[in-house]
This record gives sequence, structure tokens and C-alpha cells, in this order.
Amino acid sequence: MITLRNVEKFYEGGYGRSYVLRRVNVEIQEGEFVTIMGPSGAGKSTLLSILGMLDGAWTGEFEFHGNPVHRMKPKERVELNKKYIGFVFQSYHLIDNLTVYENLDIPLSYRNVKGSERASMVCDTLDRFHIVGKRDLYPSQLSGGQQQLVAVARAVIAHPKLILADEPTGNLHSSQGKEIMELFKKLNDEGTTIVQVTHSVDNAGYGNRVIQLADGWVVSGGSEGLPGTAV
Amino acid sequence: MVFLQDLSYAWRRLRRAPAFTTLAVLTLALGMGAATSIFSVVDAVLLKPLPFREADRLLVIWEKNRAQNRFRLFVSPVNFLAWQQRSRTLQDMAAMQDARLNLTGGPNGHMDPEELKAERVSASLFPLLGVQATVGRTFRPEEDQPGHANFAVLSHSLWQRRFAADRDIAGKTIRLRDQPYTVLGVLPRDFAVLESGVDLYLPLALNAADRRAGNNRFLTVFARRRAGLDEVRQELEAVGEQMEQAMPVLNHGWRPSVFVLQEELVGNVRRSLWVLLGAVGCLLLMACVNVANLLLARGASQRKELALRSAMGAGRARIMAQLFTESLLMGLGGGAAGLVLAAGAIYVLAHGGPASVPRLAQASLDLRVFAFTLAVSVATGVLFGVAPALQAVGGSVTAVLNEGGRGGSQGRTARRVRNALVVTQVALAVVVLIGAGLLMQSFLRLRAVDPGFRPQSVWTVRLPLSGGRNSTPERRIAFFSQLTPRIAVLPGVVSASAVSSLPLNGLGTGATFIVEGRPAPSAEQRPQALARSVMPAYFQTMKIPLVSGREFTNADVMPAPAVVVVNQTLAHRFWPQGGAVGGRLTIEQGGRVAEIVGIVGDVKSEGVDREDWPVIYSPYAQSPISGMTLVVRTAGAPEGLVSAVRKTVLQLDAEQPLADVRTMEQVVNLAVAEARFHTTLLGSFAAIAFLLAAVGIFSVISYDVNQRTNEIGIRMALGAQPEEVRSLILGQGARLTVYGIVAGWIAAAVITRWMKSMLFGVSPTDIWTFGAISILLAGVALAASFVPSRRAMALDPVTALRRE
Repeated sequence: MITLRNVEKFYEGGYGRSYVLRRVNVEIQEGEFVTIMGPSGAGKSTLLSILGMLDGAWTGEFEFHGNPVHRMKPKERVELNKKYIGFVFQSYHLIDNLTVYENLDIPLSYRNVKGSERASMVCDTLDRFHIVGKRDLYPSQLSGGQQQLVAVARAVIAHPKLILADEPTGNLHSSQGKEIMELFKKLNDEGTTIVQVTHSVDNAGYGNRVIQLADGWVVSGGSEGLPGTAV
Repeated sequence: MVFLQDLSYAWRRLRRAPAFTTLAVLTLALGMGAATSIFSVVDAVLLKPLPFREADRLLVIWEKNRAQNRFRLFVSPVNFLAWQQRSRTLQDMAAMQDARLNLTGGPNGHMDPEELKAERVSASLFPLLGVQATVGRTFRPEEDQPGHANFAVLSHSLWQRRFAADRDIAGKTIRLRDQPYTVLGVLPRDFAVLESGVDLYLPLALNAADRRAGNNRFLTVFARRRAGLDEVRQELEAVGEQMEQAMPVLNHGWRPSVFVLQEELVGNVRRSLWVLLGAVGCLLLMACVNVANLLLARGASQRKELALRSAMGAGRARIMAQLFTESLLMGLGGGAAGLVLAAGAIYVLAHGGPASVPRLAQASLDLRVFAFTLAVSVATGVLFGVAPALQAVGGSVTAVLNEGGRGGSQGRTARRVRNALVVTQVALAVVVLIGAGLLMQSFLRLRAVDPGFRPQSVWTVRLPLSGGRNSTPERRIAFFSQLTPRIAVLPGVVSASAVSSLPLNGLGTGATFIVEGRPAPSAEQRPQALARSVMPAYFQTMKIPLVSGREFTNADVMPAPAVVVVNQTLAHRFWPQGGAVGGRLTIEQGGRVAEIVGIVGDVKSEGVDREDWPVIYSPYAQSPISGMTLVVRTAGAPEGLVSAVRKTVLQLDAEQPLADVRTMEQVVNLAVAEARFHTTLLGSFAAIAFLLAAVGIFSVISYDVNQRTNEIGIRMALGAQPEEVRSLILGQGARLTVYGIVAGWIAAAVITRWMKSMLFGVSPTDIWTFGAISILLAGVALAASFVPSRRAMALDPVTALRRE
């Protein structure tokens, strides 16, 4: 599903280039549950942003579902994001001024789904995640766990093939975190590919592969045998 | 002590944010400058008491004729004397008559001749008003007697202009109307009763025995009441009835018509001034809303600091006091800058406003205006400080400290307040812009009215041949008969003539008439027409079209049969089937029976927005009145024309003054001066409103984009294309604008009804104006939202998502 070859990201500074990612070679198959780990500043979130087409300023080759992302225009990358990807963030990133229902509706509104269909999809998702009673509440009226539940619901509402989760339990206490991770596991079992960034070894346990990053290099778990892989 | 601490803190905070402070103070200065300048006009014209003793008891009395639907006509001397004798509710009375006379000599002999605007007044006028001369004295009763009244009291400006402010002028002799007059004194600066610009006052010297006193109306009467207004009206009504019985020919249907002097002076301009004050009120509110929005935006970023202060023990009142001190300081800063702007604006208004607005020239930046600005500064400081202060103390301290200054219900409320403020601002702008739009349309329609003549390339000069050596008709006829042919051959002159009263210069002299061969209506039902004396070639010079018949020729002189030319209105009214040429009119004033030899097009006499009156034109040689205005049509704009005309006039009579040298286009402009004044003022306010609305929308949307950076990042992460982000931001601006426009429409539909009397040819709820203004504002709102929307489009989602 995902192939990264020699992907690099750097910033030009006064003392030359400062690398965030170096010669990253990663391969992820459809249906995998991959965990990206590493110390702070290793480039985990940057890698996730590149995978989610949010970051376009990098070099190397990136193929996604047979599409050469490195040759695509920003607009085409957004289309790819819309078609295949759902995001879950550490700090939930729900829109404060919108109700739970409206937050769930946003991804659909950007995917040209018809109004009536959207309403039924949102209602299905509310039902599926057992948050029907919260539909008219604002994010500030929910607990952290409930907010992340809504964020996961929002990530899956458009039936993405890939969910990218950036420290999804970072702001939750353990039982809430467990609940979310169980949810990811369930989604993965249903066929959704999941790539998560986490510091938690317990959370990594839900996945089937760990990619270790350090100082921008893939230390382990990338794509064995591909040229340029550091071990 | 606490206040001083707050003041010092506020000052430091404002200095730390110079861009914000400058923008806020400038915005307030615009609003307050406009408000202060218009208040100074309203104060001078409407609010300040007249400079007379117990001015609220002063009345002006006209005569009215209900059958003719006229309520302000001059008073017959015989009626004035009767009121004076029989009234018990009036303490004092005085009468006044307009006059123009020529000044030809001063205490030291010959002076350059000048026509002066004068008032003949009863000796009792000055004691009645409680006005004393600043030099010398005013009239004594014995100086107000027929045959012994060659006395004059000078206006302050004439005394300065022509007599070098000579403090010993009292008792000296000057020459008026070729006769010696003794100067008694000089009146205070800016003294004026009904009209400004009067040069001097002469005794009225009313002669009850004079035949004119019994069958003419030419006086304006002033009185001081000792009883209530209703009592005065009742009593004078009864006196009027008695006078009707005593003199039915003069007084059938006529009654006294009593008004309060102050009301009489400002009645016509009162509404328009309140409309202007309302408009600047809107501007001031808009400025407040803008600054409130700026403060709200700033307040959001300082909420954490205030929450910390609160956590350390500062009470809500203490924090609000601190914020109010800051807004007060800004209000005072705006007031001070506004005062500077107002000083310039007041100067322009006082010197460039129309003469029809009484006491406008006296508008100045005095203590009252200063107090007004101070009060407005404090009030606006409080007004625009309320919302930010309430927002600052409204939230829970821990929530603010925990949420990182973003989001939550507090954020939603603040956003709603900001949006409501923008909607208010757009609504206010719609009201001001619609008001200005209506006036502008009205003004354009006024200018589009055909005055009935072609004013281009026509010069006019008044030649008052009054009194003295010019008292005989033969001399006047000879003067103009010699003058106009000489002017006509000057280089660059196409044709020249003269008329007793220029178009657009007021109704002037009127005459009642009877159509010969038809039953004569009763005296009070007789038709009236405006009477004009003209020299040959007048219609040709003014390019007034000759509809049928002929113009006057040099053969239409005194011994020849009396002839007249009438306008279309008269011809249509009395000969609706045609055939007016050849008809005969008995003109009562002068007792002439004249044949109609021609019909000319209608000409606007009183104002371009007024109805056309019937007009009778007589050849000057058959109706030689004293004051004529020379009209000269030129090819292009010949240099030295005025001096050539002056030379020609002085060759004929070295002591003949020339007055009111102006082009006919200036006369037309003067006729629409008040409309132009209103349009220019409201147009300027509309421009400011426009600017404030654009800045308001821009700053709110900009701030909102800034606040929504994180949200925009989320949306991009969820698949929003840049165009969709742009639509989101533009949509927000558009939504607020639409709400504002709808609210503005409703308000304008109610408020513009007040402007009805200021409009010509356009309805106060003119749908085109409402529509055009809405489209204009929508365009501005879209443009103002466009820049922030571009910024939002260019946001990097990764950076945006990292921002809390």
C-alpha cells in the first residue's frame, strides 16, 4: 500500500541543512497495523504528515496505492488523502464551534457526498460509536476520552483504507486509552490499515510491526532489503 | 491612587502596541471629528439661544390667507398698527421692511458706490430684542417719524469694511440714495434678526396716512409676548376678524399668523440637521464597534494574563476598572485627535455652508463643543469598553488557564459578540450609505431639471437705480436704453439685456390680474402672477424659447400700446385651448390693460424643485422699476468683460454701483446650494462609513482566520482543498454582511422617512438605492474578506495543527 524510497526532509538553516528525516525507506502492506516509535524529535510526526499528504516539502519517492505521490500536484495529493486516509490526533483536533454531529459531517462535506447520504452516514457512525446522545454537544462539553472517540469516529466516517493516528491516547488516562486502542484493533481486524505514532509500548502491542526512528533515520522495522535502509 | 496606577498601566500597555493604539485612536478620531463638527453646527443653529433678551418670548408675525393656502405673507402697515394698538398679550411690537440702497459718500466725501442691503425698522425693534449699539446708540422714537428719518445704524461688518472701524462714526454723515444720513451707532458683531448680511438699518418711519399703508403688504412684524402663545394667537385672531370687518377689501380672508422667532429661523433646516447628526451618530457607533472589535481581539490574547491576575486575588470590579481605564484613555485620545479634525471641518462648514442655514457662520469650536467632545469621548470609551471588559471577566479562571486561550464556550461567545458587532456595523453603514445615496440621487435629479433657460456663458450684474436722481421713470428708461446697446457691442458679447428679477432668485414682485372679457373674480380670488420687467433681447440672451407670438422690441415704449409676454403656465391656465396671443390682461398694480404679444417657455423662479408660477413679462420702457439686473451672453469667457461693463456703466453714471457680479451658472449653483451641502456632508460621512465598515469586516475576518488557524489545519487534514478553505472564510464574511444588510434595510426603511422633505424626485424607500448600496457593501465585504481568505488558503496544515 505504501512505499517510501529515500525520503528525506530537511530545513535550510544558517549552518547548512538540518535533516528531520534521512533516507527513509518504508513499506507498509494493506491491512497492517504499524507503530512508529522513537524518542522526541526523531521525526515520527513528520513521517506521519508525509504519509497523510499534509506535508509536501520532501524529497525521494512515495508510492501510495500504486500512485506516485512524489510526482503529484498538491491538489491531487489532497484528493488522494480524501479518498483513502483518515486522521486521529493526540489533541483530538475537533472544531470547537461545531457540535459532535457537525464535526462528523466535515470529512463528508469535503467528499461530495450528497446531503441525505451524509445525514445517514453521520447517524450510522454516531450509532456505531455509541455517541448518539452526544450529537448536539460541543467538544468542550465532552471528556477527553469522549472527544477522542468522536475524533476516531470522524476519521473512519468516510471509510478510509488507512488511518493515521498521532499519539491517539497521549492525552487520555489509561482506561480511556485502552478503549481507543481496542477500537483501532477492531477497525484493523475489519481491514483498515493503521499507522500510529506512540511512545507507549502497550499501545505498540496492538500492532503487528514497529518502525523505530532515531534522529530522522529508520533504525528498524522499515523495509528490510530495500537499498539505503539503516539497521 | 488605584486609578493612577491603572492609568499608568493602561498608558504602558497602549504604548507597547503602537499599531493597535494608532488604529483605534484614528478610528475614534474619524467618528468623533465628524460628530463634533456636526454638533457645533447643530449647537450654533438649533441649540444656542438667540442673542436676544428672553429670546423664547420673541415672536414673528406674518399674515395668512387660508383660501390661498399661504401662511407667511408680509403684513399690511394698517394691520400692524391695529395689532399694536389693540393687543394686550403682546408687550412690545416692531416692524421691518427689506430695502436696498446705494451708498455713495462717507464722512470724508465721495466713496466708491456700493449697493447696500438694508432693513427699515421701527425704533422699538432694538429695545424689543434687548440689543444695544456697541458704538453710539440705536434709534429714538422721534427719529422714526415720516420726513425726519435720515438716520442710520451700521452693521459691525459695514462699519469695519467701509468706515475703517471709526469709533467716532456716531454723529457723522454719509450719503445714501443721494441724500445725507446721520450715523447713530454700530450694532454688535453678527447681529441679525431673520436674515444675515444686512449692512445697515434705517428708521421705518411708518405713515398711517399713506395710501400704501392701507392697500399693500410689505412688513415683517416682531413682538414680545407677555402671555402664553395660544392666548396671543386667540387674541390676534379676534383682532384679525375686527380688521376684516373694518377693511373688507384689504382683509377678506386674512388673519395674523404667529410663530416663535427661533422656530421661524430654524424651521426649514431643523430636520436636515437632525438627519446629519443622526448620520454622524451612526459613524460614531461604527467607530466604537470597530474599536470594541479590536479590543475584543486583543482581549482574547490577554485573557490568560487577566486570569492570572484574578487567580492572584484581583476582583472582577478591579479588572473591569483596569480595562475601562484603558478604553477611557483611548476614548480621550480619539477625542483629542477628533477635536483637531473637527476644527478644520467646522471652519469649512462655517465658511462654505449655504446662506440658507441661519447662524451657520457662527459655528465654532467653543467651550460647549469641547464639553460635548469630552462627554462623547468618555461615553464612547465606556461604550466600546463594555464588551471586552465583560468578556475578560466572564470566564472561569481555571478554564482559561487550562484551555490555552483557545476554544471552549467562552471562545464561541466571544465570536458571537464579534460577529454581532460586525453585523451592527454593516447595518449602520447601510443606513448612512442609503441616506447619502438618496440625497445624491435627489441632487442629480435637481441638477437634471431644466430651469427653462441656458445658464452657460451668461454674466449678470445688478444695477440698482434706486432713489435720488434715479427716481423718475424717464431717467431709468434712458439709462438702460443707452446701456444695453453699448454692452451688446463689447468684444466677446453675443447679446445683452436686463431683467427686474433673475430666474431662481425668488418669487420677487407679484401682480394680480383679470383676463379681459371674462367675469372678474372677487378681489381675494383674483389670480396672481409674478411680474417681470425686461429689456428687449432678454429671452434671446437667456435662451428662453419663444413658443408663439413675438418678443419685445425697441418700439414697445410708453406711448405705444401696452404689451406683455406671458409664460406657458399662464397661457395654458387661462387659454387651455390656445389663443393666448392677442388676449388682453388688466394688471391691477399700475392699472394697465395690456395685450399679450408672445408666449415664452416656463422658467424656474423660486427654486428648481418648485412649481412653475404664471409670469407676466412687461417691456421695461412701459414698466420701469428701479432695480434691474444686466444679463450678458458671451462667446466663451472673454477676459476683462466685468471691467469693460463697469467702465461702460460708470461712463453713463459715475455714481452707479454694480452689485452681485456673477455668472448665471453661479446663480443656478446657489439655487441647489443647500442640496449640495447636505449631499456633500452625507456623502463624506458615507465615505467614512464605507471605510469603517471595510476595516471592521477586514479586521474581524482577519482576526478570525488567525483564531481559526488550528481549525483550518484540521479541515485541511480532513480533506479540504484550498478553494474550500477560501469559500469557508468568504462565506463567513458574506453571511455577516447579508445579516447586516437586512438589518440595515429595516432600519433605513424607518429612518429615511425622516428625510422626505430633503429629497426631490426620489422616494425615501427607493428600491434602486437600497439595492445598489447593498451590492456595493457586499462587494466591499467580499473584498475585505478576500485578503484573509488568501492567507487562510496559504496555511501549512502541519504548522496549523501544531498551533494551539
